[in-house]
This record gives sequence, structure tokens and C-alpha cells, in this order.
Amino acid sequence: MQSFFRSIILLAGLFFYASSHAADALPPLTTADNLGPKVEQPIEFPHNRHAGLRDPADAGDPSVPAKGGMEINCMYCHTGARRSAVAAIPPLQKCIGCHQTINSVRETPRIQKLFEYWEAKKAIPWKKVHDLPDFVRFNHERHIQRFIFAQGKPVQEACGYCHGDVRAMTVARRSKPLSMGWCATCHQKDHPVDAVSGKTSHGPNDCWQCHK
Amino acid sequence: MSVSNLLENWSKVRHTHPVGDVPHEEYKWAMAIDLDACTGCNACSVACYAENNIAVVGKEKYAHGQAMHWMRIERYWDEDEREFPDQGAQFLPMMCQQCEAAPCETVCPVGATNHTADGLNSQVYNRCVGSRYCSANCPFKVRYFNWWDYPDQENAWPDEMKQQLNPDVTVRTKGVMEKCTFCVQRLTAAKNMARNEGRLVKDGEVQTACQQACPTNAISFGNLVDAESRVHKQWKQQQVELAEDAQAKDEYFTDLRGYRILEDLRAYPSVMYLERVRESAI
Amino acid sequence: MIENNFNRRDFLKVLGWGGAAVTLSGCGFTSVQDGTETVVSYVEPTEYALPGIGVYFNSTCAQCDAGCSITGRVREGRALKLEGNAASSINRGKMCGLGQAGVQAHYNPDRLREPMFKGQPVAWDKALGLIDEKVKTLKGDDVAFLTGGMSGHVKVLFKNYMDALGSKNHYVYEAVSPSVVRAANKKAYGVEAPRLRLDKAKAVVSFGADFLGAWVSPVHFSQQYAQFRKGNRPEGRGVLVQIEPKMTLTGANADRWIPLRPGTDGVLALGIIHALAKNGLSVPADVAAAVKDYAPERVSQETGVSVEQIGKLAALLKTHTPSLVLAGDAAEGYQHGSQNAAAIALLNRVLGNVGKTIEAPANVPFPQIAAQGGNRAALQALNGKLASGKVQMLFVHGANPVYTAPLSLKFKENLNKATFKVVFAHYMDETALQADLVLPLDSALEDWATAVPEYLPEGAQLNVQQPLMEKLHAGTRGTGDILLALLKQRRANEYGKFDDFYAYLRNAVVSIKGALGGGGKDEDTFWAETLSEGLVKLPGSGGNLSSKASAAGLHFPAVVEDAAYPLRLIPSVTANMRDGRNANQPWLQESPDPLTTIVWDSWVEIHPKTAAKLGIVEGDIVEVASKSGSIKAQAYLFPGIHPDAVSVPLGYGHEAMGRYAKGVGANAFAMLDAVSDQETGELAMNETRVKIGKTGQRIIVIKEEGVAGGKQAGKKIAARLASDKVDLSKEV
Repeated sequence: MQSFFRSIILLAGLFFYASSHAADALPPLTTADNLGPKVEQPIEFPHNRHAGLRDPADAGDPSVPAKGGMEINCMYCHTGARRSAVAAIPPLQKCIGCHQTINSVRETPRIQKLFEYWEAKKAIPWKKVHDLPDFVRFNHERHIQRFIFAQGKPVQEACGYCHGDVRAMTVARRSKPLSMGWCATCHQKDHPVDAVSGKTSHGPNDCWQCHK
Repeated sequence: MSVSNLLENWSKVRHTHPVGDVPHEEYKWAMAIDLDACTGCNACSVACYAENNIAVVGKEKYAHGQAMHWMRIERYWDEDEREFPDQGAQFLPMMCQQCEAAPCETVCPVGATNHTADGLNSQVYNRCVGSRYCSANCPFKVRYFNWWDYPDQENAWPDEMKQQLNPDVTVRTKGVMEKCTFCVQRLTAAKNMARNEGRLVKDGEVQTACQQACPTNAISFGNLVDAESRVHKQWKQQQVELAEDAQAKDEYFTDLRGYRILEDLRAYPSVMYLERVRESAI
Repeated sequence: MIENNFNRRDFLKVLGWGGAAVTLSGCGFTSVQDGTETVVSYVEPTEYALPGIGVYFNSTCAQCDAGCSITGRVREGRALKLEGNAASSINRGKMCGLGQAGVQAHYNPDRLREPMFKGQPVAWDKALGLIDEKVKTLKGDDVAFLTGGMSGHVKVLFKNYMDALGSKNHYVYEAVSPSVVRAANKKAYGVEAPRLRLDKAKAVVSFGADFLGAWVSPVHFSQQYAQFRKGNRPEGRGVLVQIEPKMTLTGANADRWIPLRPGTDGVLALGIIHALAKNGLSVPADVAAAVKDYAPERVSQETGVSVEQIGKLAALLKTHTPSLVLAGDAAEGYQHGSQNAAAIALLNRVLGNVGKTIEAPANVPFPQIAAQGGNRAALQALNGKLASGKVQMLFVHGANPVYTAPLSLKFKENLNKATFKVVFAHYMDETALQADLVLPLDSALEDWATAVPEYLPEGAQLNVQQPLMEKLHAGTRGTGDILLALLKQRRANEYGKFDDFYAYLRNAVVSIKGALGGGGKDEDTFWAETLSEGLVKLPGSGGNLSSKASAAGLHFPAVVEDAAYPLRLIPSVTANMRDGRNANQPWLQESPDPLTTIVWDSWVEIHPKTAAKLGIVEGDIVEVASKSGSIKAQAYLFPGIHPDAVSVPLGYGHEAMGRYAKGVGANAFAMLDAVSDQETGELAMNETRVKIGKTGQRIIVIKEEGVAGGKQAGKKIAARLASDKVDLSKEV
């Protein structure tokens, strides 16, 4: 009997402890414009210029700055996405690799800053925008292999499911809650295993698939 | 599931996995530990500390039974009251037995410890509230509770040593239960690699940290479902059945040495031990 | 009430985020965070380094002298975990706990970070300049070097620097080393470290060789042991008998552990030969004559081993051929240690093991890089020279003699007679504290080196030690780099062309690539492959072995008891602590001693019978006193020890060396009597006589073992079968 009461007290204590934390542990999932908080980056990187759609007017003369985007594949820069758990920020060398030949924007402030880092041989301290809790194991490779390489989804659609319409962003911002419930809504659905067989499967349901 | 429901259906809940209503299709991770090869050297235990970010608790907390060694070596003596232990000591590597009907799982009030499809007994740190019921209910005493905030306040990892922490494993803090995971981070990585090639993990592709270190190869680990795996062959040869709480071979005299510890408690452990052998003539 | 209304799902809902916050507050983010952490990014990527994926580099373990090859997992530029390198014939992909803790030597918070001159930080240029100035004023003979066992190119540079100074005073010192057995092997087999083939032996009789714990090359021997124990090998499951006064880890794994009266190993070995001859084994006439007085009754009386047991041993060795008889620490640690080892070698000869389970080691084609094993006599010799004031300047590397020298040598006092002491050190240890100049070294995971292990299980092997990551501290330097800088001071012509030790090493290795088996490859390819493999297997001939163990001159003095000091002290070498140089690695402190299961402290092992006589119970703080010193430590009642002996582990009781080592336990080295083996002059580790007394204090022993004291309460937990009850032949 005594132990029974003790367990009630313990449970009540747990409730109290947990609810006192619940309030301050939940970050705002979205801001007023329905995106994650704005993150100040060392260089205001224009995703729209790199990954955005081409403007029909841009055809022709490469010396004239383009108005639209370059339609660069996400994985051209984020090379880890298809082969590592993390998508990876490209090394500075990759930026320079292209930009040393793109004279039309060479003197813009952002590119000048880029070259300052390069000349000082300093890595750019980019801030993480999609930063999951440390006890979560998210694997880019698994998702990219499944949806892009096996199922044949367009790259920007597949990446965009979690990262939003990056084509339209300058500095990337979070557009999905990235909460467990949000992940689970997709894991519960049936997805085609590949492009042809018509077989489907849903995402793993084990805690240990995503928690470490 | 209400508590009364749980109590009424107790035996059913406990027997879920071994009776086959949730069969293991692709993987069932299991071990076989040869006590005749084990020398008790502790390499497995230290390797486990290195791989799994286990906190060093220090003398005072060790004295209070707060050591965190997921993999520990137990040492036993003969009990025949001879003057000298002239047949040596008995060493037993003991870690989470990843029971199929795990006593810890049913008592967790928040479902922080569950059975995975691979037959592992998972411990989800961010879900754990620290009731410690699981530890109380574990017959093997292989669950370890974080009584202190080791990363921050207890100086288990001074700044320099923080750099050694394995990023694939969460660092646990105060109020959480932890235990051996069969190096689930290595399993996940191996499964990921195999899946890229559209196949299952092959035997020998993944090793647990303890198995990899063990100088005498006393530990074998693998997929019990895979008939080609060494662990499958060992279990089969020793006639130890995962889903039995008493082995048929024990009914009559056999010259086999495979056994599971405290099998009669019907927890269906996933670790088979092979008895130590001692020469009788010397 | 709860039973009816309590809904588990609701409970989960409430606890979901709260649980998370409780879990990880302080050690990481517990929820999705934008823009707080910085992403790992590189300026220029290395092709193979992808964030999130571990890269593996091969190197060599420097935790002990066995020379195991390791593979380090490196992620985002940090070395995380060490594994064995499967290509090495020494450890074949395996590792011990000591090796695993190598990362803690590297990340140790108490590492030295800058050179110190008389306790004050000093710049490297200044530090090296001070050495330059000092050596200019001295004759070569005034300068001495005390180093640990060494090999490879660091050894070459040390020798060259000594040559440049004109000094011949090189003392190679290891406080714990099989140096008496080494000398006995040389006499009996013509080589110091013959290959021991446990895997081919049907029976192993070990006189105190803890080959599974801390003797010579434990990881290698453990693997051989696993082979030896396999029931399905052609020879069948091997039988291990361990004969020693204090049970070691190997003793705990034996089929039969025989507690021997300390120091009577040789008598027992001759007694076994006597019994073998009686049983019909043909024994050379000279041997038969030498053992004629060693009848079982007499041997039994001297050794404490029963006549029946001696008979069983002889029977075992007669039927189980080939066998292997080993002489270890417990046999060699006496005034007549060489005699013990010689008697054991004679037993091997009589059994015909030489050439079968004792084989010739491979020749190392380049003697200048071959291992030079340390011994204890070196310290005694240097100590004498220091005492006479003949050493002006002393360099110390890879040794901590102030800690490991017995107080009876008065080493610390003598050391300070040298006017300029330079200590190469990783931590501020006891010896570094006495130094005028302390040179902080790179860790083994940051530094370049090569090593040729002393014990070569197969062919000769040149191990490469290479950095796994960037230096943690800008102010440390590699041993090779320091030596190169010192050599440049003296021989600029010869060494000026090398920018750093790496350049020297690369040049030195590729210039002999032909002899290293890389004749057909260009230099870059050969070097890249060498680094990738982490080792080079040297082609070359096997050496020669002779079987000339002789019965001549074997004489064992009667054991003289000392009424004032009735017990024998056995300082034990444990796998965790060894000679104490790794005592500041917390994993090793927290890893229980396998036999006593004690952590974070020293202990005194006493047989329950002796303890009862003295009224000592577990946890009593006892004073163990010899003629030369005393220590206080907790008593542990241990059945695996001879009642006439007590045992204290070495390696504890540091007075310096950082937070994890300092003040933990008591230093058993300090109380050793300065008694030496008569033939080799090696300090006889087991010759110290002690008395033991209670201090009146009692504590609770902190150990892994539970209150049941290692009993299984009738449950089948750690089970055991007799060998005739089991069929091992069909096992997989």
C-alpha cells in the first residue's frame, strides 16, 4: 500500500517537472511569414540566383549579368546529401572554382567578401539553419537515395519537401517544423519503392531509426 | 493501454515477440560469447567506453554503485571452500541481453524503452523521464542511471576530452537511463550501406565495439535470421532456441555448452554464452 | 483510481517535450534551433574527408612496447576511436584496454603545452639554445641519456645525437621488463626474444608469465591463446597450467593454478625433470645428474607443491608434446632469478620444445632500427654514476625514474647532482618536476615515428606511427623534431637539408625501399603505400636458434626467512597500470582490476588464512613495511595468493602527473629493497620482505564485485564444464 502511494507521488512529481519544462522547451515553429527565424549569415548567400529558375531573357551573352537563376542542382554544392548523413556546406574552394571565372559579379560586395575569406584561407562560419536536436539522427543519404535515385523524383521537389522552396530564398530559412510529429506524418504514408514496380513501403517506425 | 489492461493481459504483453506475432524478418541481432576464450581482460569494456561516450564517474560515485560500464566483466570464484581457487576464476562479460520479452519494457511508464524490428531493446534518451522502473525490473542489472549531470557539472569530460566524444552517440545527462545498445550506431551505418546496394548486411560487415576489440575473439555478433552468419550457426549447433524458456537439449545429457543466463525468467535473452571448459585431468 | 482513469497516451503527450528538455539540457540542443551552431565547412576539402563520415588512418599504438598496429577513426578532424589494424602480425586487428585508452593520452587535459625552464615557460628557440650552450661547455662523457626501450628512426636520431656529443652513456631503462628472462634466453637459445608458439603447443606450463595480462605482447599472446584453446584444432584443446605465488590474469584462466612458494620456480622445474626421467622420458646424462637430488618429496617440501601435483605435471608434459614452458616475472624476480629461468629453459630442452614451440625470431635487417629493450640494471648503473657526480647533464626520455626507482636507491637525491637535466615529457610527472628544462612532446596521435617491436611474432615488421589529426597544442613538438633540431646545432652539414623530422623520416625510409620490399616502386608510391598500410613487412631470413640450455651450475640456495619481515612482497604488474605511465588515463583507473575488481586505488592482497592470523579483514588500512620503506593501503582478502606473500599492484601512488593519477593509491616501487639478480644485476622485484600491520582505520573497498564476493548463489550465471563432459570438435 505504501509503495502504491509512493508511486502516485512520483508520478505527480514527474508531471510537474515535465510541464514546467514544456513551456520553455518548445521553440516557435514559425514566424509571422510562416518561415523559421531569420538567420544572419556571414555572407548573404542568394540561393535564388544559384538554384532558381532561369529567366527566359537571360539567353545569350555571358558577360551580361543574368536576371534569373542558374537552375544548379542542389547536390552540385551539397555533395554530402547523396552519400552522407549530412548534406554538407560546400568548401570555399568550390565557390571560388566557379566565381574566379565569373567576372560579371566579381566586384559585388558579397563576392569580394568571399574572396577575402579565400585569400585569408579562412573557412566561412556559416550558421546552421536546419539544426535538429542532438539526439536525432537524420540521414540525408537515405532520403536522397530513396526519393531521387530510386523513385526518380525531381531533385528540387525531393529536397524541397523538408527545405521548402529554396529556389525563392536568398539566405535559406526553415519552412517546415522539423518536429517529430511532422516527420512521422510522412513516415506513416506509403511511398513508391522505385519508379517502376508499383510497390510501396512506409518509413521506419522504430524509435532507434531516428533517435540516438 | 491502461494499467488495468496491462495487468490483465500481462502474460500476453510479455510474450509478444518470442511467440511469433511480430516475427523478425530481416534482422535479429544476437550474440554468442565463448567463456572459454574470454580471459577477463576488460578490453571490451574500455572499447565500449570509447565508442559510446560513457562517463567516467570517479571513485566516490563508483562507491555508490553509480558506475556506467555498459559492458562489465563479472568475476566469480568456485564455492567449494578450498584453500586456493586452483581452477582459476570465472569471468563473465555482462551487458544488456536485449531480451525478446524484456522485463524493462513493460514497466516503463513513458514507453522510452521499446522493442525494435531488429530485435533490439531500444532506449530512447529524450523520452526517458528517469523513473528507473526498468532498472529495478532488469534481472541482469545492466541498466545504468545518470544520477549526475556528467557532461556539465561532474567534469567527466574536461574540454580537451570532449573532442573524443563520438558524434553518432548522444551524450546523456542527469535523469536518464542508459545501457548497451549493441552499438546501434554501427548497425545503422551498416544497414545504410547495405541498403544503398539493395541488399541486407552481410555477416562480418558490422562489429560491435567490444567484439572488434576482443583479443581472443570470444564475442561473436550478427544476424540470427541470416543462416550464413556465424552467430546463427553457433546457436544452431549448440541447440539454443531463442523463443524457448527451457532448452530441449537440457532435458537429456548433451556435450554442448551453450546456455542463456536466467533463462527460466522467460525474458528470452539474445545473448548465448558458451560454458568455460576446464581440463579435468590436471 | 489511477488504474481506471490513467491513460498512458495522455501521459506521453504531456511528457514528450519535457522529457527531452530534462534529457539533454546542457549537452546539446534539445529542440530545433536555427542559426545557433556553426556548420562544419572547409576552405579546401581533402578528397576523402566528407563531413559526417569517418576516415581511418593506420598508425602504431604507443601505450606499451608490444607495437600493435592501430587504425584510428577520424571525423571532422578529430581522432575518436582506435581499432586494431588487421594487417599487423602482432595484433591482427585486435586491441587491449590499454591501447583503447590511447585517445585519453592524447586528449589528456594535463598535457604539457610549452617548454619550461626552472619552472617558467620558455620559448622553444630559447630552450634549444640553452641545451646548445650547455653541451658546448661539456665533454661527451659528462652527458648521459636515460631513455625507455626504443627502436626505429627516433632511436637512430638519439644515437646520432649522442655520437655528436661524444657521449657513450646511454642507459635504456624499463622499470617493468622481462630482462632476466631475456638474458637467460640468450644463453639457452642464442636469442633474447624467441618466438613462442602457444598455438602449436598441446600444453603450456607458465611459471608466472602473465602473457594474457601484461607480459611482453599480451594482445598477440591472447590471440594465440584463443587458438590454443580451440577444441577443433588438430592438437585438440590445449591445457594451461600456471605456477606462481600470486594469481595473475593468466593464472585465473588456467586449468590448474598452482600456488608456489615464492622463488622456488627453478627447484620445481628441476623436480619436474626428475619426475619425467622417472617416468621414462629419456634425459641427457648431464641433466639427469643435475636433477638427481630433486626427488618429488624434497621438491614438494621446498616449493609447497604436493608430490601428487608434481607427478600430474610430469604426466601432462610427457603426454602433451609439444608443450611450452614459460618463465615470467614471478620466476625472474629473485637473486637467483637467472637460475630459475635457466632451469625452466632446461625443462624446455628436455621436453624437446626447442624448435617446435620455441622458434627462431626473424632477423631485423637493419640493426640500427631494431628494438633496444630496456632493463632495470640500467637505472642502477646510471644511479651509481650520478651518485659519484660524474654526470653533469642528463637527458631523460620515455621514462619516469623518480617515480619508478625504489627509495633505497636514493635516485632523486643523486639525480640532483647533475647540474642540467633535460626531460622530454607529455605530462608534468615526478621526473619532469626535477628537471631544469622540460620539453613538451606531441602525443602519439600527433607525432611521426617508426618502431620495430622487440617481440616479433612473425617476420620483422617496421611500424609507422603517423599523426591522426592536427596538434592539439601549438607549443608541443615531436621527439623526432626536437632531436633533429638538436642535431642541426651539432651537425648542420648533415642534417641542415631536412626541414623537419617528417622530411628526414620519408627520406630515410624511401632510401632503403629496396630492402623494405619496395624495390620495384617509385618513391612516392612506396611512401604512400607505407603510410596507408601503417606498416612495412620486412623481407628477410629467419634467425637461428640453438638449444644449449645447460644443467651446469644450477644451484638454488635454501630460502632464508627473516623473522622481522616474515612476508614476501610481490609487486604485481597489472594490465591496466603496468609501470604507472598510463595512470592518468581515467578509463584505466575506472576499469576494474580483473581479479580483485578494485577501481581507483591500490590494494594489498592477502590470503584469507594469513589475514585471519593477523586479524585483518577486508577494508582494513594496513601498513606494509619493508626495510626500505612502507606504504599504507586497503587490505583485500584474496584467495589466489600464497599465504607467505602479499601483493601490491605497481603503477599507483603518483605524486604528480595530473588530476587522474596524482594521489590515487600508493607507490609500491618506493618500498622495494635494492636486491639484484646475481647474474644480470637486474633489480630483483620479488625479493623484498615485508611485515604488515593494521593502522586501525577501516574503509569500504570500492570494487565491482558485489557483497556476495564472487559467488553465484546456485544460479547458472558463469558456468563451467569439465573437459571430458563436452565435445568441442563440432563447434563452429
